[in-house]
Order: sequence, then C-alpha cells, then structure tokens
Amino acid sequence: MFHHLFKLIWKRKGRNVMLSLEILMAFIIVFAIAAASTRYAQIYRMPIGFDYTDVWSIKLLPPVDVKSTFTPELYNHFKQGLEALPEVKKVSFSGSDQFTLSGMRGNVKLAGGGPNRLTDMVEVNDDFFAVMGMQPTGGRFFDQSDNGAKVQPVIINRRLARDLFGTESVVGRDFEAGNISGNGPVGLKVIGMVDDYRDGGELAPPSNVMIMRHIPYQTEMSMQNIVIKMAPGTPRAFEEKLHKQLQMVRNDWGYEITPLAALRTSAYASMMTPLTIISIIAAFLLVMVAVGLFGVLWQNTTRRIPEIGLRRALGASSGNIYRQIIAEQFLLTTGAVAVAMLLLVQLPITGALGDSLNWTVFLSATALSMGVIYLLSLLCSVYPGWRASRLSPTEALHYE
Amino acid sequence: MFKHYLLTAYKVFMRRKLFTAINLLCIVLTLVVLMVVTALLETFFFPSGVEGKSERFLQIVGMHSNSPSGDSMRTEPLGYAVIEKHLKPMASVERVAAVTTPRTVSVYQDGRVSELQMRRADADYWKVLDFTLLSGRLPTVEDETMGRFVAVINRSSATRLFASAAAVGKTINVSGQQLQVIGVVENEMHVNAYADIWAPITTFPSSEYRNQMSGSFIALLLARDAADLAKIREEVVAISKQVVFEDPKEWTNAVFFADSKLDMVARMLVGDPRTRDSGAGILLAGIAALMVAFMLLPALNLVNLNTGRILERSAEIGVRKAFGATSRQLVGQLLVENVLLCMVGGILGLICAQLALSWLESTQLIPYLKVNINFAVMGYGFLITLVFGLLSGVLPAWKMSRLDPVHALKGAI
Repeated sequence: MFHHLFKLIWKRKGRNVMLSLEILMAFIIVFAIAAASTRYAQIYRMPIGFDYTDVWSIKLLPPVDVKSTFTPELYNHFKQGLEALPEVKKVSFSGSDQFTLSGMRGNVKLAGGGPNRLTDMVEVNDDFFAVMGMQPTGGRFFDQSDNGAKVQPVIINRRLARDLFGTESVVGRDFEAGNISGNGPVGLKVIGMVDDYRDGGELAPPSNVMIMRHIPYQTEMSMQNIVIKMAPGTPRAFEEKLHKQLQMVRNDWGYEITPLAALRTSAYASMMTPLTIISIIAAFLLVMVAVGLFGVLWQNTTRRIPEIGLRRALGASSGNIYRQIIAEQFLLTTGAVAVAMLLLVQLPITGALGDSLNWTVFLSATALSMGVIYLLSLLCSVYPGWRASRLSPTEALHYE
Repeated sequence: MFKHYLLTAYKVFMRRKLFTAINLLCIVLTLVVLMVVTALLETFFFPSGVEGKSERFLQIVGMHSNSPSGDSMRTEPLGYAVIEKHLKPMASVERVAAVTTPRTVSVYQDGRVSELQMRRADADYWKVLDFTLLSGRLPTVEDETMGRFVAVINRSSATRLFASAAAVGKTINVSGQQLQVIGVVENEMHVNAYADIWAPITTFPSSEYRNQMSGSFIALLLARDAADLAKIREEVVAISKQVVFEDPKEWTNAVFFADSKLDMVARMLVGDPRTRDSGAGILLAGIAALMVAFMLLPALNLVNLNTGRILERSAEIGVRKAFGATSRQLVGQLLVENVLLCMVGGILGLICAQLALSWLESTQLIPYLKVNINFAVMGYGFLITLVFGLLSGVLPAWKMSRLDPVHALKGAI
C-alpha cells in the first residue's frame, strides 16, 4: 500500500516538491508564530514576586546626579516628611524603577571561579520588602543585624540560586560580584532567597536578580526611588499633596509620582504595541497560509479527477478514493514537516535563541503548529476528495 | 497582440473564479502588509510636516563615554553645557536647538491629575521644527531671557485639560510649577516633536543644568543646505573630542555623532555608539531581506497556483505551438497575464492599505500617528507588485515553454 503511494508521489515529484516546499514554509511560519505566543504566555504566567496594589513610586530627579547628594540624613528627611501624612503607611527606598526595563546589570560568579552570570542588581533599604509585600522562600530579609556585616548581605532569586550554586539551599553561601565599582570583585553572602522579583512586569523576560542592602557612602548606587505603601483607596488626586510635601524637603528637585498600578498599565501598553503589530502581521500570514494551501491543494486534487474516475470505473469504492487522497496528502505533509523539524530542532539544541526557545516552548510550539498544518492540509484535500468521490465514473472520466 | 493577451487573460480568470479570487487575495494580503510597512518606514525616516526639513536635518541623541580604565561605559543624552558651549557656536550650521527627551509629568487641576509627556526646549527648537500653531503664540528668546513660566500644549492635551474652553492664557500646575499656557499646537508623533506639553528650558527648578556635560538633552542641527551635511558631521566628530567631563577621573572619551533619522535608528538597533559608521547599510539590508523572506511564501503559493492553471491550458498551448508560436511569445503572454493579475491586486492592495492605515491611526496604537500613502509609497507599491508578478510568473512560464506541442495537444504531461 505504502509502496504504491510512494510510487504515485514519486511520479509527480516536480509538482510535489513545490507543494512540499510551500507546506514547509507554511509550517515554519506557523511554528514561529506558535513559539512566540507560547513563550509570551509562559512569561506572562510567571509570578512577578511583589504586590503593587496601593504602592506608589516617587522618582527623585535631583538637578545634579552625584552620589554625595544622597546622604542618610536626606533619606531620613524624606521618610519623616512622608510619614507625617496619614495616608502614607510605610516608606521605603529602592535603586530601580518598577515596570521599566532600565536598571543596573552586572556579572556575578562563585569566588573560586566558574562562569559569569549576568544579573540584575537592585539596591534597597530594609523596609522595601514590607512595602512590596514580598515573602522570603528561604532565609530572611535585611534587618538591623546586618549593620556592619563583614561581607555584604544579599538576597537572590531562585533562578540565580540555581544558575550559580546548582541548588536551592543557598542561604549562608558566598559568591562575588565582578568589578561593580572598579575596585575589584566584591564579596557577597546570601542571607535569603525569593521566588522572583520581576520589576519589569509580567511581560519582561525572566532574569537573574540580586537584591542588595544599601549602605550609605559605601555601596555603588544611590536609591533614587521612594516606594510607599498608601492607605487602601487613596485617590490619585492625593498626588498633589504628596508633591507639596516633597517640595518642603527639597524644592529644587523634580519628582515623578505614579501609582505602580498606573506605571504597570502604561508599561504594559508600550510593550503590547510592538506585539500587537507583530500579531496583526502574523494573523495576515496565517490567513495567507490557509488560503494559499487551500487553493493549491484543491487544485491538486481537482486535476486528478479523471484519474479518480478511472479507479472508480475499475471498481474502487468512494471510501478507497478518500483514503488514497488523504494518505497521499498525509505523506506529503509529513515529509515537509519532517524536513522543517530537522531544521528547527537545531535552534534549541545549539541554544541559538537562548532561554526564549526552551524545550517546553519548542515542544508545545511543535505540537501546535503540527496540529494547524495537518488539519489545514487534510481539510483542504478532504473536501475536494469528497466531491471527486461522489462523481459518477463517467462524469469523472470526462471531467475538465 | 497585447489586446489579445489581455482578453485571453480576462477569459482565463473568469473561467476559474475561485482560483482567481484566491490568487488575488494572496496578492492583496501580501501587498497590504508590505505597503503599510513601507508607508510607516517612509513616514518615520523621511517625514513630512513638522520634521519635514529631513534633507538638511541632523540630530545628536546620545553621547558615549567610558571610565579611564575602560571597565564601565555609558550612553546618555547630552548635557546642556555641551550644546551651549560646543555646538551652538558651530559656524557651518544654520541653527542648533536643544530639547530634552520627553518625561512624564502630572498636571494638577482641583482634584484631577492628568499625566502628560513634557519636553523642555529652547527658542531655536520652534524654528527648527515646523509646528502648526492652532492658537496663541510659540515661545521666543524673550520668554527665555525673562525666565517666564510659560508652556505650549498640543491639541489633544488642550481638550483633555480644558474640554472645549480656550486654553491660551490659563495657568496650569505642572508637577508643582505654575505655567501659563501661551499656545496650542497640532498633535505630532515624530521622534523629536512628540510630546504633549513644552516649556522653555529656563523653567527647570534649578539652573544646574547649564553646567552639565551629560544630562537629558537632544541636539537638533539644521544645515543651511543639504550639501553641508558631510561637513557638519566632520565638525561634530571634532567637537566631541574637545568635550571634557566635570570629573575626568570617572568619565572620559566623549563620543557622539550627528545622525540622520536612518543613522540614528541603525545605531540604536545594529550599530555601535562609538564608531562613525552607524550601520545603516546593515539595517537597510536587514529590512530588504525581511521583506523578501516575507514575499517568499506568497510567491511560492502563486507559483504553485499558476503552474496548475497553465497545465490546465496545455491543450491551448499545444495549439498555439503547433501554429508556430515561439516559446518566447508564450512566456511573454504568461508573464503579461501574471503581471496583470498582480496589478489588479496592487490597486486593490493600495485601497486596502489606505484603509488599514486609517484604521491604525484610529486605534492610537502609535500616539498621534498620521500616515498618508504618498506618491513615493505608491511607486514602491507598484514596484513591489511588479517584482512579485515576475517572481511568481517566471518559473511556470519557463516550465510551460518547454512543453512539447504533441504532448501538450494530447493533454499528457
């Protein structure tokens, strides 16, 4: 049976090569779309690791951006000034903006050597975790007992723990950051672990994160963000009052006050814009793939109606004809898909696209796109096949 | 002869309506995507309107510097001091404007907070860019020297803040500063023009910005003549070598280039902030490669459909060959048919692309987007169509011309 089918396909190899090429291209396009959507769905479902309800961020914009501007006294002034307002529940400081893709990155590694791991670094003060509603999954967060610690204490996320130590019981272990301030490597001690802290938001690609304790005059970065927990239901209009309060501390500075929820909405919108445009183009491509395959396969089957008539005349049942058409199409599609898979499987094997095309994404994208292509190509041959098998042998033989 | 070709083509198309429709749909879909993309790129790289002086316009958006040891490096917008001390005195340019990158500000109006994108600009900015003034006036040098707290807002912000009331003359509280609205301009989307509210640079809360070498400024350079651009680029490179930072021990080696829009984008995406070559060539090649790759599937599709259509007509081809038609004539006929179909698709595609663009404008996916398919884009569109028609017609035509008349007449291939 198979031998016979192969012979039929081989007899029309010129035409079938073109057809297979088209199926192959279509498969690759559908695969690309499926892989991108799966990856984004996967990223979107990961927890961001903090709770942004009723949390507001104040970006400090001093006219001169030098380290010496940010003294412990100044932080204290801001803290006291803000806590004087009854709507403000808790005040903390951080060195990175939430829901932006900016921030400090650097390499960390094990003290004895080992590969460098590119890591997002955030500097915060002790109250930050309470404001952001974060919970440690191991160890603890920063507190007064870290004052004067010999080795700088840090909190890392699960991803970095696995990358660096290969295990999740990492509390108390040491590693080092290469050359943050230009004075050679800095020793670090893990005192706690969090599931994750994705301050880029739900659509940002997951990364290694290291949260450091801000030590005045010592650590490299200054904390240019105030993060505050507000009383539930504080209206946006409260911003004006907050602004006045801040100006009483420093009136020559600029302040950008935004609730994290609003920041998230706008960050989300700006990340969605390119995605929307790409998905519109992807939708166009899908329609084109569907219409194109349908046209070609239909034509392919229609052209063989006289041949089908001959088989009918020689006693083949319509079921037989059906099976032949579907089996031929199935073989053709399988050939094209196999070649495409051979090409595509190189991507996760060589790791050319890194984590964005991991095996989970690859396998689900493969399943999805195979489903689409098989469904499409079989549907496109079933209908004309059905029509052909219903023709009486005399009609079919003379079909033009 | 040509008339006959057209007539035959029409008959063939009408006989297989479904396949003609599928053919057309493929062409139209492909062309719409390609034309919309071309129109957007054209609007972005060679805008008309507010940034319409493209051919004699350069900008400096980022300055690269590194620490003396070379361990750390940064790319930041310029500080005002660089523009004032080094760029403004340049002899070869007509005008140099300084403007900050947009920043989110809050406008407070008795209990209401509106978030707007704000730029601070010097008086030259309003002369380099051609904003459409709807009411009031634009800021002048006098506003700057007097240190007036004034602002210009765009049309959509005026509606947002004051509904239908006249905005000019009103005072607004912008992040704690009281600014008086002196003018309303049309909404603009372009790289250097996009913002909701503009104020003179003298409205900064502190005058510290005047001493900064790196900060938040973009410099816009307007040449007297398009021919001067090369000279200006050279001069800017020379200037960048003279820049000395406040703390040369921490940052040194300032590098910046005056770029056209294309160079600017290329530098951001594929180029290097430190080299004179912006990588525009690579960017353009990349765009072209993407477009060709995008056209590959529909072209393959059309090849398959066309081959099928021709083989159905093998009897006709056999007759023509038997009566002495040369292969070349037959190939010509088929290409004419194919190009004709593509042209029809092209016209439909143009209409659909126009619809798609107006839909894109109305969704506000890109704020203040305004794109028109101008003659240049229409030209590109037809060029793309022609390439497409030839691309998808050559292979089937070649196949057909090889048909043996005897076999063709019998319908056996």
